Amino acid sequence: MASVGQIVEPTPTRDVLSRAQARAALIPDCMVEAQRLANTVIAGWHGRRKRGIGENFWQFRPYVDGESLSRIDWRRSARDDHTYVRDREWEAAHTVWVWADLSPSMMYKSTFGTVSKESRALVIMLALAEILARSGERIGCPGIMEPIAARNAAERLATALMHNPATGGLPDTGMIRGSSDVVLIGDFLDPVQDVMARLGPLARRGLKGHVIEVADPAEETFPYTGRTEFTDPESGQKITAGRAETLKDDYARAYVARRETLAESLRHLGWSFVPHRTDRLASEALVAVHMYLSGMPAMRAERGR
Amino acid sequence: MSAFAFAFPAVLTTLVLLPVIWWLLRLTPPKPQAEVFPPFAILASILKREETPAQSPWWLTLLRMLMAAAVVFAIADPVFNPRTNTLASSGPLALVVDNTWASATDWQSRVDTATTLIDDAESRNVPIALVLTAERQHDAVPVDAATARTRLAAAEPRPLLADRTAAIASLRTALDGAAPGTLAFISDGMAGGETDETVAALQGLSPADLRLIEGDGAAAVAITAAVNGADALTVALTRLDGGPARSLPLTAYDSRSRPIATGTASFAAGATTTTGTITAPFELRNDFARISIDGLANAGGAYLLDDGFRRRRVAFLSGEVVDASQPLLSPLHYINRALAPYADLIEPNVADLSIAIPQILEQNPSVLIMADIGRLPEDVQSEVQRWIEAGGMLIRFAGPRLAAAPGDDPLVPVVLRKGERALGGALSWSEPQPLSAYPSNSPFFGMRAPQDILIKRQVLAEPTPDLAERTWASLADGTPLVTTGPLGSGRIVLFHISAETGWSNLPLSGDFVEMLRRTVQLSRGGGVSAEGGQATTGLPPYRLMTANGTLAAATGEAKPLAAGDGSKVVASFDNPPGLYGSEDGYVAHNLFPPEHTIRPLVVPEGASILREPLAGKETWSLKPYLFTLAALLLILDCAIVLLIGGAFAAAARRVPRRGTTAAVLLALFAGALMAMPQQGHAADSKPGDETILSRLDTTHLAYVVTGESEVDRISERGLAGLTEFLTYRTTLEPGEPAGIDIEKDELALYPIIYWPVSATASMPSNAAISRIDAYMRNGGTVLFDTRDQYINLDGNATSPNTERLQAILANLDIPPLEPVPADHVLTKSFYLLANFPGRYAGSPLWVEAELDRAEDPSRPARAGDGVSPIMITGNDFAGAWAIDTNGMALLPTVPPDELQREHAFRSGVNIMMYMLTGNYKADQVHVPALLERLGQ
Repeated sequence: MASVGQIVEPTPTRDVLSRAQARAALIPDCMVEAQRLANTVIAGWHGRRKRGIGENFWQFRPYVDGESLSRIDWRRSARDDHTYVRDREWEAAHTVWVWADLSPSMMYKSTFGTVSKESRALVIMLALAEILARSGERIGCPGIMEPIAARNAAERLATALMHNPATGGLPDTGMIRGSSDVVLIGDFLDPVQDVMARLGPLARRGLKGHVIEVADPAEETFPYTGRTEFTDPESGQKITAGRAETLKDDYARAYVARRETLAESLRHLGWSFVPHRTDRLASEALVAVHMYLSGMPAMRAERGR
Repeated sequence: MSAFAFAFPAVLTTLVLLPVIWWLLRLTPPKPQAEVFPPFAILASILKREETPAQSPWWLTLLRMLMAAAVVFAIADPVFNPRTNTLASSGPLALVVDNTWASATDWQSRVDTATTLIDDAESRNVPIALVLTAERQHDAVPVDAATARTRLAAAEPRPLLADRTAAIASLRTALDGAAPGTLAFISDGMAGGETDETVAALQGLSPADLRLIEGDGAAAVAITAAVNGADALTVALTRLDGGPARSLPLTAYDSRSRPIATGTASFAAGATTTTGTITAPFELRNDFARISIDGLANAGGAYLLDDGFRRRRVAFLSGEVVDASQPLLSPLHYINRALAPYADLIEPNVADLSIAIPQILEQNPSVLIMADIGRLPEDVQSEVQRWIEAGGMLIRFAGPRLAAAPGDDPLVPVVLRKGERALGGALSWSEPQPLSAYPSNSPFFGMRAPQDILIKRQVLAEPTPDLAERTWASLADGTPLVTTGPLGSGRIVLFHISAETGWSNLPLSGDFVEMLRRTVQLSRGGGVSAEGGQATTGLPPYRLMTANGTLAAATGEAKPLAAGDGSKVVASFDNPPGLYGSEDGYVAHNLFPPEHTIRPLVVPEGASILREPLAGKETWSLKPYLFTLAALLLILDCAIVLLIGGAFAAAARRVPRRGTTAAVLLALFAGALMAMPQQGHAADSKPGDETILSRLDTTHLAYVVTGESEVDRISERGLAGLTEFLTYRTTLEPGEPAGIDIEKDELALYPIIYWPVSATASMPSNAAISRIDAYMRNGGTVLFDTRDQYINLDGNATSPNTERLQAILANLDIPPLEPVPADHVLTKSFYLLANFPGRYAGSPLWVEAELDRAEDPSRPARAGDGVSPIMITGNDFAGAWAIDTNGMALLPTVPPDELQREHAFRSGVNIMMYMLTGNYKADQVHVPALLERLGQ
């Protein structure tokens, strides 16, 4: 009898990218709800019609003493006797941080699932990046890519992933500044207290979070029978069950309890929680998180389902 | 003696250990199923540390028990029909072996039986007196085992009957009064004659132990006669014992041992004789040379046919001058037409009878037909008479000359009245007479009584006492019409009418044909020479039959066969069965005369005789089968253990494809299937049919696989790009590009083959190039791409790719080439193009030159008939067409110009349109002229 589950090789990012683009094509452009973005009334590349930090030219103004000399636009200044400084228009797109857990436990695929958890997580992440980039949002990935607002953000994210293979675990979140949205994709199989200990500080910094829990069907249904030796892909620990089928009910109870606890804790933080199984379509999770990002409150009733 | 025994029964006691093995096997837990499980922490929190060993499945234990039991039984060595050495050691072993015709079929097992007895005698240290019954000389002096074995190995079955009396006499002489220990008689089961004393004679030797060893007697079936009937050959068969009903297939062979007809003979249950038939056309039956019973390769089951079956050689003479312009008035015409299908006809080429008759008789005819010859010259007459006395047959027809001949002609069967009798006519009261029914002594008996035949004139026989029995056919009033009489060993037949239609209408009827055929069939086959000397010297052996029923060259032992004996006597040492005579004519001498029956060996009641079957094939051991079974079970057990242990699952993980385990099982199953004997299916499907069918559904672009992965990848992607472009822009929707191996793939499925020439790839073999040549000859096109437009910029040296192309083209039959001219149909077949760039621009596209180039300004396009079989470019088309899976171009154009890439795609479209439409596009230029002609 063949094993139910197996460890898979990390999915090639290029492969995932084309799949993610196919998924993203199914989802309408995601305009992150403007109301909830306190200081970014107009999102995307619409400027704020005033001077500030941005990429587009706004105006030339005379140089004022005290300003840094490096800001002088020498080309303009050469035209006449005055010295000019180039001002740029203030553009403030919303920043969405996406992150996928790529730890060894994600490299798992059972015979019931269509793809591995890691592959699914990457597809969802890149598809999300694609949708958000289409709407002009800034996309970042903690520890891997600074936020950028570019049409090809998904490709660049994929390239960055290729060059900086994520090792797993929530990375340094120090680069997340201001109030942004965070989309976390992973299996979140660690104890709930540990997970919340890491997510709590983020929430306290004012970040809005969306958690997608990717699970393999075998993890939920526990389809094992007979004498079975279970191995932990992270630590390599082994445990042997004489008759695995007798454990099924207990396990299912524990598993659901963990998920309920996690969902409850996240709701306390005001974050959303989307459970997802790899035998379902990736679009389902994508649509769900798209709803949350677009601020559809109707979905909240089902949160933590 | 039991039919089943163990060689080492003590080993069986170990079977009591099986329950212990069972108990042990059930205790050992199987290896757990290894599973990776990411939510390990959750599982660990609920799993209590319990280790109850699950038992291995009961069927696995049963399998292992079976394996152990098989090994135990195999070591115990069960044997069926075990034999033991029970030879009496009081005297020499007397071995009487029948090597007759009936022993030929199972001769080897008889030899094996005898060898076993000799082995036993050797171990008992007694001498062996071996005597073979179907031999001319017998040497029964007891010898040692080695000599006996040599003699036995040298012995072979004879196509003869046993001469046991002589053999036993020889044995008695050799033993010289001493009683033999064991006397073993390996018999063919047949009695020697009417009163068979064999067993009594053997008992008379007073052996300590008399054994009669017999086969099953199934092979003792013999053909005793073959009669050529009207529409089938009837074969008489006899067999030894009246056992159950049995059907035997018969096959007739021609003189070169080719089977030409088949039939069957069926013995009813209990019957010892039967007849079978072989139905075949008469002409085919003429060619029969030998009949044999299929599956019984012995001399009794084969029956030789001689020239008696053959076409007769018939000579005919006429008294009147043959007038070739009026054949219907010639009597020979009717005879000729009647006999031509059944006989070889000889006609004299001179009219002078004194020259013609000796000339004819030199050719040894079987039958001489004389139509209306009244009197032969004196010396010729005596010559003919001698010929008839030696066995010839003379058929005479009456006529005016015979009627007028003097009455002392010796060559008529009856005394004739002078003159003829006319029936009907102006001066007669009598009416023309029909024929009466044929008498029973006539060869015509059995033919339908003729109704519509009227005899108007005949010659009359003088009444004699024996006239009735000499008459084969008579008129309704009783006057004889056909009379016959023997002369020496020959025969004279006289038709009292002429052979043409003047005297009767018989020559016009089918009865005439049948009467002549039956008469001729009575004659002696093989020709009769007038010398007649063979009767005294006998016929020399020509071909002799072997014990296996086949013919071989004559050996020195056979003596000439007395003439006439061939079908009457049983074959003997002096005259073994075979063909006697010479190549020109021979007589078949068969093993049995007609009506002979074979009888089983008589065994007196109450005699103390041990009957045994033939050994050798009977004793066999189960040991190898049991060991094979155990080994198979072991392999099965290993496979199951591996499967449970997850060995195949690990393999499946390495190969990222589902169902690997199933594939492994399938492979095992397929291997088992292949180990089985192949069944011959008459399926006409061939390997690769699926591929061909899939290729035929849609057009596929094809490229030559050079073996260099990068070149092949670009070719594949390039043709994929062109395919996409074609699908998008034109109605042509090709399928996936196909990479082809020109050494072995079918080329005819593709309209065009793209060949990226690469100097570093291996040179295609001559066979491959000749395949390409055939492909181009059959209408295919090869697009050679040297991809070297900018490789050597100095422009005067040829690049390696071009050199390779020249090497390839050196072996091809290619037409003269030219760069695509401006008015070529290629420039207009879809897009209007001026040049054909690829990744590079500048290299011309070479196509077949059109030699009859007529400059016609009114024709905007021109095309030869058909399509250029070859195109050559250096622009690297595939490089320009190549796209990745996302539709992005793989390689930049040189210079980087997307317009050039567009033109490259358009070039590809034009080439494909040119390929698929031929000169149809060029014919479009006629459209204005056609419309004008239609008056539109």
